[in-house]
Amino acid sequence: MRRAMQRSVVIVWVGATLGLVANAVSSRRIPLLTTPKVEVPEQDFIPLTQAHDLWAKGAVFFLDARALEDYAAGHIPNALNLPAEAFSEHLGQVAPFLGTDSVIVCYCDGMECDLSYHLADLLRQQGYTNIRILQNGWTDWSKAGYLTNKGAQP
Amino acid sequence: MIQWFNGLLRVALGGIFLLSGVVKIWDVQIKKSSSDHTVVFTTQASRIPDLSLFAQDVLNYRVPPRALNNVVAITVPWIEVVAGLLLVVGVWKRASALVIALMLVVFLIAIGQAVARGLNINCGCFGTLEGRKVGLIGLAEDALMLAAAAWLVWREKE
Repeated sequence: MRRAMQRSVVIVWVGATLGLVANAVSSRRIPLLTTPKVEVPEQDFIPLTQAHDLWAKGAVFFLDARALEDYAAGHIPNALNLPAEAFSEHLGQVAPFLGTDSVIVCYCDGMECDLSYHLADLLRQQGYTNIRILQNGWTDWSKAGYLTNKGAQP
Repeated sequence: MIQWFNGLLRVALGGIFLLSGVVKIWDVQIKKSSSDHTVVFTTQASRIPDLSLFAQDVLNYRVPPRALNNVVAITVPWIEVVAGLLLVVGVWKRASALVIALMLVVFLIAIGQAVARGLNINCGCFGTLEGRKVGLIGLAEDALMLAAAAWLVWREKE
């Protein structure tokens, strides 16, 4: 038994090392540590399937926090583009569609992306209260095979 | 007789772990498309290791520390592959069964807490291969596999 335990440590070590190496050389590597630059309470995140259900019912507003060209290259249908980095510039175009108590789902792309967190913060400062974040939004949404759309915001 | 039974158990359990590791690492997906009343299944995998979706699945379990989430997502599938492969080929049988048993204990705790908290999340058990949610079936499967792994640890010779 003692030998089996020692060897099991070796197995775990070899597996973990392989994983770390494979991730390091992969062009699709993910960062080792995932500390969001902005602390977001867990309840602010919305799971993908739940977001999709609400989207299908038309019960929520989706806001794409990415830059204009990323939005144009592909986005969640009916999502409005409100780039977090040009918030005040674009808020005027989007605000007429939003009620301060309507459910708003912010998304960007990638586990590291914090544009949606920033957008959520900025919106809260404007008095919007019901904001959720769809993490890794665009990647997860498109990979799940849900409908997508292309083109700049009309 | 028992040798034969244990061999079968090893190949089955090791095979499941090998497969579940591989589909997580290369993000294997099965797509169903129906045309002309025929349903066509196509398998699709990334050519390069792509763990972003599995990392999201792990994150959804909401087990802290959040900072170590990706380390788990990066290492667990490869440990599954190594342990599963060893068990299938019959090298270091007890040790690989032990690793699998320990992983199953962790999985049971992770799924158990998710079910207890009522989280409506993807199991992630076989990557995105099956869009299954966490639930009692997953718990039962893991418990069954844990029994098999424990048996092998107990009865196999190294």
